[in-house]
Amino acid sequence: MNTKTIRLCYRKIIDASATKAWDRQVFDDSYMEYRMQVQNFVQAEQYPLYSDLLQHNPDVARINHMVSGAVIGYLQQLNNIMPDVLNALGRRFLKFNEFKFEIINSHLDNKDKHRISITFYSEPVYWLDTIGQNLLLTGTDQQTDTMLTDLLPLTPYLSIYSLQNQ
Amino acid sequence: MERKNFLKSLMIGAISTPVLLHACKKDDDTVTLDSDDTQATNTGSSTSGCNVAPTETEGPFPTKQPASYVRSDITDGRTGYKLTAQITITNTNSSCAALSGALVDIWHCDAEGNYSEYGGSGMQSTNYQSVHFLRGRQTTDANGLVTFTSIFPGWYTGRATHIHVHVYNSAGKSLKVTQIAFPEGSGSALALVNGYDKGMSNYTYNKSDNIFSDDTAGIQIATVTGSKADGFELAITFGVPA
Repeated sequence: MNTKTIRLCYRKIIDASATKAWDRQVFDDSYMEYRMQVQNFVQAEQYPLYSDLLQHNPDVARINHMVSGAVIGYLQQLNNIMPDVLNALGRRFLKFNEFKFEIINSHLDNKDKHRISITFYSEPVYWLDTIGQNLLLTGTDQQTDTMLTDLLPLTPYLSIYSLQNQ
Repeated sequence: MERKNFLKSLMIGAISTPVLLHACKKDDDTVTLDSDDTQATNTGSSTSGCNVAPTETEGPFPTKQPASYVRSDITDGRTGYKLTAQITITNTNSSCAALSGALVDIWHCDAEGNYSEYGGSGMQSTNYQSVHFLRGRQTTDANGLVTFTSIFPGWYTGRATHIHVHVYNSAGKSLKVTQIAFPEGSGSALALVNGYDKGMSNYTYNKSDNIFSDDTAGIQIATVTGSKADGFELAITFGVPA
């Protein structure tokens, strides 16, 4: 069998339109932390829009890491299972073991401008086959001739992060 | 084909073994402690008067992570002599009355001089432990007081021993970024701890420190009492314009 080992990644974008409780809490708390931390940087008041500030003070990129702490408590609540990524049966199933938090844009005084993304990186899985728009996946500990699989529909913001040929 | 293996590999409910990742390689946290109960002398004196705390750089290692790190004990298992820090915040715009409801962030290095989480913005492991050591946030009480339990900080090249402090009002507006310095001299807590395993060779004392050298009035120097056996108590008051 020509099996490839892949890691999938899913980029979840959260902005002022968020309605689900988890999304909303991440939105609110990351904005509060953004406002607090951005005041550590020079010109933060002069350029209240994050994208403007970043242009004038590249050092402000460090704030991604600083604000990420605000969402860690919420990530823990996911129990290492990616949100939103559903198999063909409509269930969350994909385990992640790393994440990356990014501020897309924000504003010192205007919460509506706050927009973040959290990218989730899956544990390695075997990519067995492709059926239509679906990836046929199985766990990396599957070795026998009959294996249980998951069918993953490809949806926006879902991608293959790394691939390893066997 | 064992179904349970499959479940383990992919599905909800699987028991995964978290991979222990440390904030940085240097963070092995091995220092030698003794139980000497010699009381610190030369404990510094708290300055009186209504002074605005000097503004200092927040340095390259700012605090982060509020929700899961709003806590009083910030030790996180780091090895070192216990240090209880009592920080009182007053309002210089109100005759230095106690400022309640202010958010106070502190962060400092471990016994070996290393900070947690000063890495870049790359991927982070989902192991949430051990990367936020020695950082915390508390809200001042009616007396303007916050208390943290931690360890006596170590030191690193170029800087005197210090604790970073960032004070915000309750809405998160920055009121003051500053640092706490430690009293020095024979018998002081600094001398008792003696830089842990590192010793004090090439240590930067306050008068040579590029942050503290201009603090001739000693506004930033805390009172530090106690012993290695019993732990040390640090107290300082900062005035901020609220």
